[in-house]
Amino acid sequence: MVNWVGLYTLCRREVERTIRVATQTLVTPWISALLYIFIFGEVVGRRIDTIAGATYIDFVLPGILMMNVITAAFTHSSSSLHFQRFVRHIEEVLVAPFSHVEMILGFVIGGVLRAVLVGGGVFIIALFFSAATVEHLLLFLFYIISVAIVFALLGVLAGLWAQSFEQLSVMNTFVIMPFTFLGGVFYSIHMLPEKLQVVAYFNPFFYFIDGIRYSMIGIRESNATVGFVVIFTMMISLAIFVEYLFKKGWRLRG
Amino acid sequence: MKALQITDLKKSYGANVAIDNISFSIEKGEFFGFLGPNGAGKTSTINCITGIATHDSGTIEVFGVDVKKQYREARKLIGLAPQEFNIDFFAPVRKTLDYMGGYFGLRKRERDDRIDQLLHLMELEEHADKQFRHLSGGLKRRVMIARSLVHDPEFLILDEPTAGVDVHLRHELWRYLEEMNKEGKTILLTSHYIEEVEKLCGRIAIINKGRIVAEGDKADFISEGKSLEAKYLSITEGEGW
Repeated sequence: MVNWVGLYTLCRREVERTIRVATQTLVTPWISALLYIFIFGEVVGRRIDTIAGATYIDFVLPGILMMNVITAAFTHSSSSLHFQRFVRHIEEVLVAPFSHVEMILGFVIGGVLRAVLVGGGVFIIALFFSAATVEHLLLFLFYIISVAIVFALLGVLAGLWAQSFEQLSVMNTFVIMPFTFLGGVFYSIHMLPEKLQVVAYFNPFFYFIDGIRYSMIGIRESNATVGFVVIFTMMISLAIFVEYLFKKGWRLRG
Repeated sequence: MKALQITDLKKSYGANVAIDNISFSIEKGEFFGFLGPNGAGKTSTINCITGIATHDSGTIEVFGVDVKKQYREARKLIGLAPQEFNIDFFAPVRKTLDYMGGYFGLRKRERDDRIDQLLHLMELEEHADKQFRHLSGGLKRRVMIARSLVHDPEFLILDEPTAGVDVHLRHELWRYLEEMNKEGKTILLTSHYIEEVEKLCGRIAIINKGRIVAEGDKADFISEGKSLEAKYLSITEGEGW
């Protein structure tokens, strides 16, 4: 029997935590996105003709949006879990009648909701630059939510693994940031040297960015099926692994 | 019916044996003192009962419910006020109690009524909207006890609930605890204040180096004109029970 009231409370707590520090969790990424859109869209973009048939701002906006969704989902679940472990108020959850899956869902839904809030804000900002279009709404929603789930799960993993706040930042600095930038946020992979183009196809972030770009402006550089397989494989394997760690109580229960 | 039945419980952290094959039980409605020096295994035992830690072997039953196999049912029966402030320091008191009630499945109206009742009982009404970090040590202790009572548990575990609390407030807390016990709550209390255990508890167990070294009625410990403190010291220093 699912503890629905408990699960709702876990999610509510995560959302209220996001709102409690809104300057850090929402306003900062929106300002950062505004600067990216202004600089790449207005300043640099005006000097670039078109890229893969689209204006530069239309081309980079989906990448900027996805970059913010990824960061928000990952940061939320990793910092929330890690902080709760650090001050030990995770014990409030451990002594309550929750299953492992309910606990994981609380953190993941919290991460997804923050990602949607951040992504929604970036989209609204882009509207002021006449840069936000959505050609395939269902696909757009699919990419936002499924990628947010993947990174919220990855965040839960990092939140469990990290023994310090410094370790927590390692994953963001050495994995998420470089893979996102190398996944084609600001350029078409056809602009890369031929050998690097092959490497780009092994970067899963490329499929996330390319997928949302297709849903927004109808331009695709990757195989859609491969993209779906990458997303679902990551989602399922991370969910199974995280559930296993929670069940084992790894770094949660003494 | 036994409120708590622990049988052959073992718990190790790597090579360090924290609990070494202990067994004891607590009757329903008892006020039970669980004593021992620092690092003796008191908190490890409590963590195994509440689900904060998982035990290696043995069984723990709360009102006949196995805390591992039927953990959801078992956790609903237990309320824990731990020794450390394992709480969101930035959340207001009412919010903390509200979250905790929600975790235990209490719906909004039921939760609000219960929280008002607890704030009144613990004399926390005027502090309800203050963040936990802004409260004095005594008020923090009261919040910890209020939090453990949100879901109206049958079995209350208080791990050093009066540590760092002034004499006046300690007496007030004792009064709350005695009232709760009279209302039928089973209470397991750990404390380094031996006089506190002597005043409140009817039965006592002493744990040392992970083993139960003495267990019995309070009268058994304070016989022969010895105080509980003197008896406790002789037992934990190895003179036997």
